[in-house]
Amino acid sequence: MNNEQKRLQYAVDELPRDIQPERDLWQGIELGIERRAVAESQSKSDVVALPKFSQWHYSAAASFVAVVVIAWMGMQQLSAPVGQQSTGVIELAELLTEQHQAQKQQLLVSLQSEQPLTENWQEQLAELDDAAIAIKAALAQDPNNAALLKMLQNVYQQQMSLIERVHSPKWREI
Amino acid sequence: MVEQPSKVVEAQQVFADKTESDVIQAAQQGDKRAYKKLYDAHVGRVYALCLRLTGERTMAEDATQEVFIQLWDKLGNFNAQSKFTTWLHSVTSNITISYIRKQKGWFQRTFNIEDSSVMQQSAESSSDTISLDEYVLRLPERARHVFVLHALEGYRHEEIADMLNMAVGSSKAQFHRAKQLLTEWLGNE
Repeated sequence: MNNEQKRLQYAVDELPRDIQPERDLWQGIELGIERRAVAESQSKSDVVALPKFSQWHYSAAASFVAVVVIAWMGMQQLSAPVGQQSTGVIELAELLTEQHQAQKQQLLVSLQSEQPLTENWQEQLAELDDAAIAIKAALAQDPNNAALLKMLQNVYQQQMSLIERVHSPKWREI
Repeated sequence: MVEQPSKVVEAQQVFADKTESDVIQAAQQGDKRAYKKLYDAHVGRVYALCLRLTGERTMAEDATQEVFIQLWDKLGNFNAQSKFTTWLHSVTSNITISYIRKQKGWFQRTFNIEDSSVMQQSAESSSDTISLDEYVLRLPERARHVFVLHALEGYRHEEIADMLNMAVGSSKAQFHRAKQLLTEWLGNE
């Protein structure tokens, strides 16, 4: 081994084992894990199709809300000063959450007399709640990300279809 | 009676391993707080490997996130017969190589740029106080991958050839090229 090679070997031995990233990566990782869990539970639940009216109802509502949200975000970007954009988006997410909670409560009351098909449906609801919390936290960090708002809305839709499915007498007959 | 220092170090290591194996077990059972502990303990190593393989900070951050997202699902495959860090490095290398392949495909389709010319150009602007790490990042992509996997991670050329989808001879040639460039750059300091 000549001197140059020794120098290289010494430099290799001296390289640090750890290098810390300059930004916190955990939040994105947590969100990624939640997204995969949601995608998995969605693909499992897709095996049992929703009643036709309900599917149409939710997809129409989802499209309408998505159009309103994207248009609203576009308007905000054009008109609002940079510092105020994030507050507006977070308020919108909160508004979506409030509306969803009201609708969910209404649906739960209307299905009170029905016996649920599974025992762990409330755990599944709680998992989706956790996913919504993670998405809202990510939205607070990245307020211009329209995909996050759509994800939040998607999580809420999944909660509604889950409640409907586990309480549906139609599926009990099968 | 005074405990010998080497015995104390050994005992500390056994205790640390025991603690980590408990944390791994908890994370395998779906405990996210335990998983966060694993992340905190190993993110530096994973990021260092991702950075040296990708050669770029933003891409390394994304690759690190991808590693820990996929690791959550793969954790069940770890059987504690091998050392966790060894297994983690192997998972990190494979996920990062596959991540780079996907990104490179998109980048080249979009911009049609040969990365080696970019790397060569940046290597010419070397300053006086450059660490080996900075030179490693300036290596042409394939030479960098082989150098990092062989010289730093200890993979054999046969394994690297398999991972990078190249001939064993090419892996050896790329390693030789990387060594030549690095000794040359270090010699110019």
